[in-house]
Amino acid sequence: MNENRRQILEMLAAGNISADQAERLIAALGTERTTPVGEYAGSTAGPNGATVKTRAKYLRVLVEADESMTGNKGQTTVNVRVPMQLLRAGVRLASLIPAQAHQQLDDALSRHGVPLTLSQIKPENLEELVDHLEDLTVDVNGSEGNKTKVRVFCE
Amino acid sequence: MTPNFAVLGIDTPGFHWPRLWLPIFLLWVPVILLSPIILLAFVVLALVTQTNIWRVVAIFWGILCSLPGTHVHVSTQDARVLVRIL
Repeated sequence: MNENRRQILEMLAAGNISADQAERLIAALGTERTTPVGEYAGSTAGPNGATVKTRAKYLRVLVEADESMTGNKGQTTVNVRVPMQLLRAGVRLASLIPAQAHQQLDDALSRHGVPLTLSQIKPENLEELVDHLEDLTVDVNGSEGNKTKVRVFCE
Repeated sequence: MTPNFAVLGIDTPGFHWPRLWLPIFLLWVPVILLSPIILLAFVVLALVTQTNIWRVVAIFWGILCSLPGTHVHVSTQDARVLVRIL
């Protein structure tokens, strides 16, 4: 028997949770197991019906591009999976940018339409940014005969 | 955990390459041999960025340890490239 399922049944036997709550928890366990690859589980019901958020481990980028986009014969697919931990480590790498280079970077970013002031971004802000990436889902579908699809999500 | 293997798969229109398992852990041997130069590079980087050297080491170690799980797969009708870090 699954360890989580056993704990739920023990909590039910001890009278810590009601039968309805136990049923919801077991159903949530089943949902978690049957979540297909490529879909972010998001959240599950915890004790007392409270929502417990599952932590995403990977950022996935899926691209399906047709001939009109790539110029290659047939469909081109790109499937990239990046560990969230690598994103966090990369963000920490940004803290090594010397202060003297900040102004130049700000100017370059502004020229390309990203009005960002690097000196105002603290490591804790970047950590928060990566944490919030877990809620990110981007779906782009081509229109008018263009079969290009782009999906960005966390799982 | 540091990466131990990299899986490389390349299919070209003319040839189907067998999937290569590259033992990345063997790179520790040249890394240990080159450690004085690597340490010197970290010292220079720490001086340039005005950061503590241990912070620089920790950042690069963090990147190295978070590489496992990376997966890149690009395929077209004729060719395919797969890179996985385990």
